[in-house]
Amino acid sequence: MSRFNLKWLLILPPYIWLLLFFAVPFLIIFKISLSEAAIAQPPYTALFEYVNEQLTIHLNLGNYTWLFGDPLYFNAYMSSLKIAAISTVCCLLLGYPIAYGISRMSGSAQSLCLMLIILPSWTSFLIRVYAWMGILRNNGIINNIIMSLGLADEPIRLLNTEFAVYIGIVYTYIPFLILPLFANLVKLDNRYLEAAADLGAGPIKSFFTITLPLSKNGVIAGSLLVFIPVVGEFVIPELLGGSETLMIGKVLWGEFFGNRDWPVASTVAIIMLLILLVPILLFHRFQFKEMEDR
Amino acid sequence: MEVVESSSFAAKRNNPDYLSVDKVSKQFGGFTAVNNVSLTIKKGEIFALLGASGCGKSTLLRMLAGFEKPSSGDIYLQGDQINNLEPYQRPINMMFQSYALFPHMTVEQNLAFGLKQDKLDKSKIQKKIDEMLSLVQMEHLKARKPHQLSGGQQQRVALARSLIKEPKLLLLDEPMGALDKKLRARMQLEIVNIIESLGVTCVMVTHDQEEAMTMADRIAIMNAGEISQVGTPSEVYEQPNSRFTAEFIGSVNILEGVVKVDEPNYVTIHCNDTEADVYIGHGITCFEGQPVAVALRPEKVAISSYAPDQKYNYVTGVVKEIGYFGSHSVYHVELPSGKEMLVTALNDIRWGNERLTWGDTVWVHWDDNAAVVITE
Repeated sequence: MSRFNLKWLLILPPYIWLLLFFAVPFLIIFKISLSEAAIAQPPYTALFEYVNEQLTIHLNLGNYTWLFGDPLYFNAYMSSLKIAAISTVCCLLLGYPIAYGISRMSGSAQSLCLMLIILPSWTSFLIRVYAWMGILRNNGIINNIIMSLGLADEPIRLLNTEFAVYIGIVYTYIPFLILPLFANLVKLDNRYLEAAADLGAGPIKSFFTITLPLSKNGVIAGSLLVFIPVVGEFVIPELLGGSETLMIGKVLWGEFFGNRDWPVASTVAIIMLLILLVPILLFHRFQFKEMEDR
Repeated sequence: MEVVESSSFAAKRNNPDYLSVDKVSKQFGGFTAVNNVSLTIKKGEIFALLGASGCGKSTLLRMLAGFEKPSSGDIYLQGDQINNLEPYQRPINMMFQSYALFPHMTVEQNLAFGLKQDKLDKSKIQKKIDEMLSLVQMEHLKARKPHQLSGGQQQRVALARSLIKEPKLLLLDEPMGALDKKLRARMQLEIVNIIESLGVTCVMVTHDQEEAMTMADRIAIMNAGEISQVGTPSEVYEQPNSRFTAEFIGSVNILEGVVKVDEPNYVTIHCNDTEADVYIGHGITCFEGQPVAVALRPEKVAISSYAPDQKYNYVTGVVKEIGYFGSHSVYHVELPSGKEMLVTALNDIRWGNERLTWGDTVWVHWDDNAAVVITE
């Protein structure tokens, strides 16, 4: 009996956590998405009404049809997915060699490099994005160097472009790709590479036939760890991007704080969650596989 | 004891050197793993490097494979120096200690890997794979991944993968290390049969003397980075050239003594542990008064409860311990000097009630050619 209680005691905390910080907020947002905007406090109509001993439920699906009717939202979702996909590929192309290099280092150099990867996240994320504004703006470091070298007569516009958004995203999220990938690569058994060499495969061939396929789970886990949060990213496109950079995070912000239309904003959030559900499920599958392989 | 050789082995002996290791040394930092080793290996031979862990045998094997480069000395394969070739440039394949089968590939893909590097065409690769799979009797499991195979099956695949490129030299690193004892005995013979049927020259590394003696045509016994003896299994067992070899291979009783009489056709040795002198029935290169060691294998001495009818080569003692192994028993006999001697006796009579027991006073004796004198 006591053992049974103990088991529940151990299992309970994560469930309580999920209930309080995922299920309840999700249900609140879902509820708001089914209501109508109103000039009131809070700024939406009630879902349930109890008047004259009659319980009335007002279900408003108009927000959903509205979302599908206006191409702005569709374009914003697509643009977010595109930016997230390109950023993930960039992180991968840049992060794989870094993770691989660190995994081949000796003990002390390895800890130092891992430290250097993690170190920037000890300062505030916002400050680091502001720092990029300073680097990219017209009289920033990059433009000053270009101009003093005489490579251009007038500053090149870097800030408030989609390029700046990519720089910000790749810079911010690359540790999330490097760390799981490193954890995967570091346990790659050197004997497989020796066996490949023994069977006649040179270093490049061994990399593509042995190292890369064996690190597949790390690549997928790391990529999804970048892709999923980038889709909903708001701060980076807001601060580094221009008005032409369309991302769903910015739309969401606009609906909440610009239009004060909480129901539409909630609908945007719900749809985004549904879109991300597929990669999230994939992530869990590969994370599970990755743990199993250990 | 006479060394009997098969005719095929005699033929191998006459072949010129196929692989030759010439004064090879390997240092790691200040540590010398392999010290000035020279060896020649004949075509078609199965050659074992035998030694305790850390004796340098694995380093020597890795230098043959190309994973380590010698600090000094040369390695020649069919007369060509191969020291500085990378592993993927050498016509040498290795079966790794725990096989190192590629976990993300099926059995078939594992076998195809090496052939693909040679850019063979598909039908030829398939043909070779099929032949090799049938040789190691793994056709039915060719679509499996390594983790779906048992230890013995993985070993067959590993062997097939290392043989499929028809290497000029096959290297086996502790081939039976990952198998249980029963399977080991079967696989030892099976691997030898496959290797011999293909006529591949093979160098293996093992710490298991039984494995080396069963599988190899010749054995090199290594100690602290050096080779202490090279010979056929019977040579190293019956004619050890040093105390280390005698004690490393099998069990042995070592009696310290001094040469008393040195005649051309016999020698007698006075030992402090035996009341009678040791008599050797043939001449030895030594001088009177030289300190020597007499090595006696436990199975080459006899034990009895009565005094033998001989003037030399016996000792009395008391049975202290009996190890019963079914087919034979090992008696631990304490000599008057306090030294313990091992004697193996065949249990050839069922329920023999005249068998010796604890505390019996016994005579241990041997004939004129049973002992090996180590003069080093």
